Amino acid sequence: MTQRIETMLQNCLAYAHHVHRAPFAGAVDWQKKGLSPVLRSAHRLKALLAAEHPAELTGREILFIRTVTDVPGIFTDAEQADLKQKHFIHELGNLSNICPSYQSVMELGLDEVKNRANQRLDRCRAEQDTEGEDYLTALLMSLEAVYDLCARYRAAAQWAGNTAAADRLANVPYNPPRSFAEALQFFRILHYTCWAEGMYHVGVGRFDQYMWPYLQKDLQSGVLTQDSALELLEEFFLSFNMDSDMYPGVQQGDDGQSMMLGGRTADGKDAFNLLSSLCLTASRELKVIDPKINLRVDKDTPIERYEEGTRLTMEGLGFPQYSNDDIVIPALIEMGYAPEDAVNYTVAACWEFIIPHKGMDIDNIAGVSFSKCIDEAMHESLAKCADFDAFRAEVVKKIVTSCDEIEENVKGLYIYPSPFVSMMMDGCIDNARDVTLGCKYNNYGIHGTGVSTAADTMAAIHKLVFEEKSLTADELIAAIDANFEGYESLRQRLRTEMPKMGNDDDYVDGEAVFLLDAFADAVAGRKNERGGIFRCGTGSAMFYLQHAAETPCTADGRSHGEPFGANYAPSLYAKTGGPVSIVRSFTKPNLARACNGGPLTMEFDSTLFRSEESRSKVAQLVRYFIHSGGHQFQLNAVSAEQLHDAQLHPEQYRRLVVRIWGWSAYFVELDKAYQDHVIARRAYGL
Amino acid sequence: MKGLIFDIKELAVHDGPGPRTTVFFKGCPLRCRWCHNPEGLEFHPQLMVQYSRCTGCGLCRAGCDHPECKGFDRCLHACPNGLISLSGCEVDSGELAAKLLREKDFWDISGGGVTLSGGEPLSQPEFLLDLLDKLEGVHRCVETSGFASTDVFAAMCARTELVMMDLKLADPGLHKQYTGQDNALILQNLEYLRQSGHPCIIRTPLIGGVTDTEENLTAIAKLLVGIPGLQRAELLPYNPMAGAKYPQLGLEPMEFTGQKADERLLDPFIRAGVPAILA
Repeated sequence: MTQRIETMLQNCLAYAHHVHRAPFAGAVDWQKKGLSPVLRSAHRLKALLAAEHPAELTGREILFIRTVTDVPGIFTDAEQADLKQKHFIHELGNLSNICPSYQSVMELGLDEVKNRANQRLDRCRAEQDTEGEDYLTALLMSLEAVYDLCARYRAAAQWAGNTAAADRLANVPYNPPRSFAEALQFFRILHYTCWAEGMYHVGVGRFDQYMWPYLQKDLQSGVLTQDSALELLEEFFLSFNMDSDMYPGVQQGDDGQSMMLGGRTADGKDAFNLLSSLCLTASRELKVIDPKINLRVDKDTPIERYEEGTRLTMEGLGFPQYSNDDIVIPALIEMGYAPEDAVNYTVAACWEFIIPHKGMDIDNIAGVSFSKCIDEAMHESLAKCADFDAFRAEVVKKIVTSCDEIEENVKGLYIYPSPFVSMMMDGCIDNARDVTLGCKYNNYGIHGTGVSTAADTMAAIHKLVFEEKSLTADELIAAIDANFEGYESLRQRLRTEMPKMGNDDDYVDGEAVFLLDAFADAVAGRKNERGGIFRCGTGSAMFYLQHAAETPCTADGRSHGEPFGANYAPSLYAKTGGPVSIVRSFTKPNLARACNGGPLTMEFDSTLFRSEESRSKVAQLVRYFIHSGGHQFQLNAVSAEQLHDAQLHPEQYRRLVVRIWGWSAYFVELDKAYQDHVIARRAYGL
Repeated sequence: MKGLIFDIKELAVHDGPGPRTTVFFKGCPLRCRWCHNPEGLEFHPQLMVQYSRCTGCGLCRAGCDHPECKGFDRCLHACPNGLISLSGCEVDSGELAAKLLREKDFWDISGGGVTLSGGEPLSQPEFLLDLLDKLEGVHRCVETSGFASTDVFAAMCARTELVMMDLKLADPGLHKQYTGQDNALILQNLEYLRQSGHPCIIRTPLIGGVTDTEENLTAIAKLLVGIPGLQRAELLPYNPMAGAKYPQLGLEPMEFTGQKADERLLDPFIRAGVPAILA
């Protein structure tokens, strides 16, 4: 890392740039003028960008930071309440969790986009398509707002003596970039504006693919060397961290700035290139939480690439998260994605597989709690079940009911329009419609939470109630209803002596196979109101706390309120056979059928990464997971001692990063419940 | 064939080439005063109790009729806090081999294998040899103190791709003082390795003031000159955390603490021309 980047990094972490910030002070007039929602969105963006002022102009190659900290919504409180009455509003209501196309807009330049929008607007007027007219008017207004801010940035950079940056802003975003540096500046303006428009979890996509031609050209012509390219890239990576504290999700760090590296090209070749490698290096050197690094691999990926990934894992950022092309691409095709789109997949904010600029999927629309399904089946039917298969059938009914409820609850979806982001989604200008109304793919994803707790619970019931018959249904239910008070020995027996997932034991792993198959069957054939399908997956998101809090104690010996494992992982207190057995247990289910996203999540003690030799053995484990048919793998290097100390002395651990469920965060910025969960996960060590 | 083991560890990274699965045999004829696997010393199953968290409720002493609890002064299952565990279980070599071989596909792609350690695996020779035979086709390592008859040692070598043998102290008197046995058998087996040319790694745990002396390391380096199958000597820094298990077994805590390992400790090996690393 160069001294310039080191200084920039320290300033970023010290929030030195926050001095430029102020809340929005302009007039909130877009809510009152009788405008359609899409026009309100454009008016708001215009007002916001007008309130932005150029800052951090010197010593930088890539400009644009946010200076306005809060922006009122496009609807009044009363209107919002009314919308919630009439519609299903997902999360905050804004567009989120998809990946727009930086590539197509950069290839055209915004001047050409504007031309096309104007032409299409003329057609809408001729055809009296007023909705289309509104959309294109909104888009053109948004573009004018961006042009205005870019012009002010250019003038300010010139005035500040940063002629290189000013010169770049003479060309981009109006025309296609002529260099890697211009491409990065162009990207920054687009990404910045997506956030400013109100979109959140703004994905980065396959950055090493669409940016590579620009870098390759500069390397060939000698404009850049590998070293200067890395420096530029590191500055660019830091730009993701300048404003991200303004973009909290469930917790600080849940900002969805996910980048995908590697994978295959459209013609099936290995897509990993020098830029992919430089991205891994930049992330490793900076040790900051954005962008969140993902790496696509497959059975042909050489071990050296896993070793390179493991060197990044060692830094404790929880990067890279791996996904397996051999499973994911066919799974997406099976779900109905076109093969040429499936091969181009990326992840949304966390791990949900999506197609950049074609997918308007809402892949985190709800979650099915397997443990809740089992609990209800147990209370209502266990005593009546003649055998274990009969009980399993009752659990299946509950999973189906749970999916029925979700399907019903998400009807009437309304998303707040986002005309600028729509410009970056395929077909929106041609159709003259905002992407929030739909795109090529409009599927919904449902998380499946606490798989291991549920499988362990099923196995315990199978063994004690049906096989050994050492416990009656009524006795078990009495113990559960008492939250094991007065049944401590039974609880210990359930916790420590029953089969647990993570031991390569078919008896219990078979229950996970069964539950995930039942989940896949339960969503199969369902259609949403946008013509899309329902996808099921193995992610937990925050449900590992929320669903766990809602579920009474479970027959695997878990007390009420004890969390589930993160995503797809052994239960927190399960004694497992070790990392290899865990991989074997968790690759038994047919993951191609439950491929919404959700990685096997494992913690390793940081000492395991100290020597190159032992790191390479961890890399072999990752490769084994991929070869065994795993879909996605998330491994984290942690030091329990350090985490405990960080709770006591947070001021000394400002930079300590941990992985939560599909994102990484600064440990000391997390709520204690999330901190405690990371500490409670079992770390495999020397 | 039955044998007694006390643990199986997957993804062991220091027990041979590639990722290993290490099986720990229970029982050892030596009594190294720094032993960090004290639960591996006795040739019978033992209770381990986390006394530090015990509330003294007495449930474990109330008596039970579980066959597996016979012979112990507590019930294995009664503790409401889950503080009692059993170290040591009898396993069948065929069943153990079958369980281990499920991971063969992992070792095949990663270049790893099985390591048999302890305790002292050579102290259960029939079980050990039978297990090694049943694991033929995977890469097999044995970690041993070398304290065994040369017949057994040679039979083990014949079924093992790599031997990892300890050489703790070169001086017979000090060896007896710190491990309870002199090192004649160990040196004899070292001689066997020299003669047979069997692939081996010789390891010395670094115990401050005992094994890490210039005198001892120089003598060990000298003993290792001219062993044709020697891949390298390894100096193993001592893990002070290991002491935690002593109180759980009702034993006095250990008297040794860790010491910072120093690259200079490799000098005697460099001088003798013996390849060596600090692990």
